[in-house]
Parts: sequence; structure tokens; C-alpha cells
Amino acid sequence: MTKRHLDVVETYRTVPEDFVKHLIGTLVIVTAAVLLASLLFGVPEKPPLTIQSYAATHPLAFEQVALNALDGQGAIASYGPPYNHGSASVQTGLQQAVGVIHPLHANTAFVLKPLAMAAAINPSLRPALRAFNQASLAQQVRWEAAFGGALTKGTYQNGLVATPTANDGPLPALMNAMLQLGRSGLLSGALIRNPAIVTRFDNQNYLLFLQGTPLQTAPATQAMLGSNWGIIHPAVNGYPGAWWMTIPTWIYQWSFVANNAAADALALSIGFLFWMILALAPWIPGLNRLPRYLGVHRLIWKAFYREHENPAPGSDRKEPRHAS
Amino acid sequence: MSNWTTASRAMLRRILSLDTWLPTEMPEYAQGFMYMLGSLTASSFVVLVITGVLMAMNGPDTWSYNGAMRFTAATHFWAVQAFFFFMMLHLWRVFFTGAWRGGRGGTWLLGAIALLLAIPTAFTGFLINGDLYSQWNAVQAKDGLNALGLGWVNLTNAGQMFGMHVVVLPLTIAAVIGWHITRVRLKSVVPPYPVRKKRRAELK
Repeated sequence: MTKRHLDVVETYRTVPEDFVKHLIGTLVIVTAAVLLASLLFGVPEKPPLTIQSYAATHPLAFEQVALNALDGQGAIASYGPPYNHGSASVQTGLQQAVGVIHPLHANTAFVLKPLAMAAAINPSLRPALRAFNQASLAQQVRWEAAFGGALTKGTYQNGLVATPTANDGPLPALMNAMLQLGRSGLLSGALIRNPAIVTRFDNQNYLLFLQGTPLQTAPATQAMLGSNWGIIHPAVNGYPGAWWMTIPTWIYQWSFVANNAAADALALSIGFLFWMILALAPWIPGLNRLPRYLGVHRLIWKAFYREHENPAPGSDRKEPRHAS
Repeated sequence: MSNWTTASRAMLRRILSLDTWLPTEMPEYAQGFMYMLGSLTASSFVVLVITGVLMAMNGPDTWSYNGAMRFTAATHFWAVQAFFFFMMLHLWRVFFTGAWRGGRGGTWLLGAIALLLAIPTAFTGFLINGDLYSQWNAVQAKDGLNALGLGWVNLTNAGQMFGMHVVVLPLTIAAVIGWHITRVRLKSVVPPYPVRKKRRAELK
């Protein structure tokens, strides 16, 4: 007998078992429970936040999103790898080392290319777009800064954003063209176009266009913010979410994690460490003997211990078998 | 091991035996609800595969708008809940019974790997549903993967997520679960901790 067997009871009996009935039984139980829950509760689905609806309901904020994509201050414009060479969201050297594998330059992908397509069907847009594209970088930056200031005092009138006069060149016209493109629903198609193939499996640019202020401030997402225990909450109240992510979500709440510039890398790494402890429990001294001292096994095997520690007279009708 | 074929034959003879897969007897201690939890988890996985195949056959666009497919999506959703629910109960049962004893550490490790794999399997399913939950979690969770240097897994690419959820992850987790269950059947479930000899002695 090797040492590892010392912790296991050496003798026990076997009893008749209908294993197929056992398996079919559990399958029937799960199937019935799932069908009943589906009939009673259906499936939770909350309509997504579309670019079109955001442009229609938040015209000023929409133009701000477009402006930030253009001037490089947006969440994606300044992100860094794997999208571009920014640095705002680079958490680790590993992220940097992976490099730009999903190229996304927000100014062209989110604004200038869609506007070029819009200009093809709306010639009145062409002079403004040409003026911007032909201006020096310094001029573009001055226009963007001026328009940013004017937009804070902007108002929404007759489907367009009106801003006070400023030295912002063609930007009021371009940003209103973006707004119209967004409201029309055509911007989504412009964002996910791929001239090389006809399928549209990659919706990266659509999702990332709204990833900053639009999604972060949407009332429907507030309960799902990372600071509010994020993913374990469903989008539709009353339904279960991904509750099995409770430990990683809890780690995100630790102040030294939450306030760290590399919060995601830190939280997921600590979460993985928790999993390693679980996975390697059989080989971790102390932890591998913990269940014996916790004593819960005595409840689980209550009948076994009752019989074997207090053998009733005449209960040894069957000869115990040796454990295999 | 001098002859690999002989060794493989010996191993497969045990694995493919009727006594391994259709036992007519079980240990006396492996009875009751506590010993249904693993089977309930595996049954949930079977329901997930069946409902998942029905969904894959019809395509993601149908899940939200077609009545029959929406119901199928509901069964898939609740089967995920059942899968994790029973897996957690099973995990607690095997932990409290020190189920790694008697050379069963590998079985425990495979179960832990199945748990780890189940998380991205479920997550990629949420991502391809196309509702607000998909949208939100795709953009939120991408930062973690990017930070860990796993940016090639592009959570905002629905095509890649569909492939991961429907093929890559389920096949991987099915293999791990299959290996886990094979080990359980070959080694049987862990026997109890030894009976307290002191108490037995007192009773004599």
C-alpha cells in the first residue's frame, strides 16, 4: 500500500445500481427544469444601444464622440495595441509586445472614410471634407480645439447641431454630416465595411465606436459597470447573470486593484491565481488535508459512518470487499 | 514501457469495457443526491450541446426574432445556468470529500480545467447573442484580454466569437469532461476517510 492510500477507507461493500436509469434520470430532471424555466421566464434580452438611436437621442454627445475620434482624444483613438500606436490603455509590456494586430485608426475609420462615402452621394459635403484633408496637421488641431469649445455651447435645432461662430473651419459642417450619417443608420455599414470580402463577421469598429461615453453613461449599463460588480449582473433585472464570475468581479472591487493603471491585468492574474490554488489543491500541503478536518464529509457519508462506526448486531451479513 | 501497442491495448481494454461504462454495482457510500451532482452537470452539458446544435443550424439572426428559436435560445440560457449550478454543487461535494485522495488528483485537476474552460465558453455565447449584454461585455472585457497579451482573441469580432463558442471551446471542454468522466469510471469515486478507530474501539 502506498502512502497516498492511507487516507482512504480500506473496506466497503458494493450495492446493486441501475446506472442507465441514474443517467437517464438526471437528463430528464435537467431537461424538465430547463423547459419549465424557459416556458415561465423566456430569455433575457435588452435591445442594444445602436449608433442610430444614440445619434437621434444624444446629438451633441454624438458629435463629441465623432470629434474625439478625429482629434485623437477618444477612448479608441488613444488606446494603443492591439488597435493603434496610442498609449492611453496600455496596461502591460505584454500588450505592447503583441503589437497592432487589429489596426484601427479612429480618425480615418470612424470619421473620414464614412464622410468620404457620404460625400460621394452628397456633393455639397465635398468642399468641407477637401478643406479638412488638405489642411496642415496644425491647422486641423486648431480647428478641432475651436470646435470642441464651440460644441459645449451648441444647441440642437431642426436635425442639426448649431454652434457659436468660432475659428473651427469646416468642422461644424463635417460633424453635422456625421450626425446625419449616424441618424440615417448608414454609419453602421460604413464602419464594418470590408472591400476584400462580402461577409460581415467582424463588427469591431461598430462596437468600439460607442465604447466610450455612449455605453459608459447609458442608464441601462450602470448596474453592469465594473465598479458595480460588472458582469455578474444581467442586463435585464430579475434574471441570473454570469454569477460564476463572482470571484474575479470581487477582485475588481479591491481598492489597490480598482485604482491600479493595470486593473484588468491585475484582477485577471489574481483570479487565475485563485484558480491555480483550486486546481492544485490535491498537492498543496495543508489544503489537501483540510476537508478531513472540516468534517463535512461526515454529513455526506453519514449513513456509511453510522453503520461502520456503530455496527449493529448481525449487520455483517455481507462480507466487506476490499477497495479497488 | 517497451511495447506501445501492447500498452495501448491494455489501456483501451479497460477504458472500452462494459464494466467501466455500465456498472451494475456501486460502492455503498456513493448513493443519494450528492452522487447525482456530477451526472446532473454532465446532463446539463448534453442539453447545452443539443440546444446549441439547433441554434447553430439556424444562425444567430434567428435567436432574437424567430419564436421557436427564441425558445431554443431560452433553453440554452437556462441550461447554462443549470450547468454552472450543478458544477458548483459538484465542486463543493468533491472538495468536502477530499476527492483527490487515492490517486485521483488528475481527476480533480481535469475538473478544475473544465471549470476554467466553461467560463470563456459561456462568455463567448453571451457575446454572439447581439443584445445589450453582448455589446457591453464585448467592449468591457476586451481590455483584460488585451492587457494580458491575448489581443488576438478579438471579443468584438462576432465571427471569431461564433467559431470559439460553437467549435473550439465546446470541443475542448467536451474532451476534458470526457477524460474527467473516464477517470472517474476507471478509478471509481473516492472512498470515505477512514473510520475513526478510537470510536470503534470504545464500542467494542
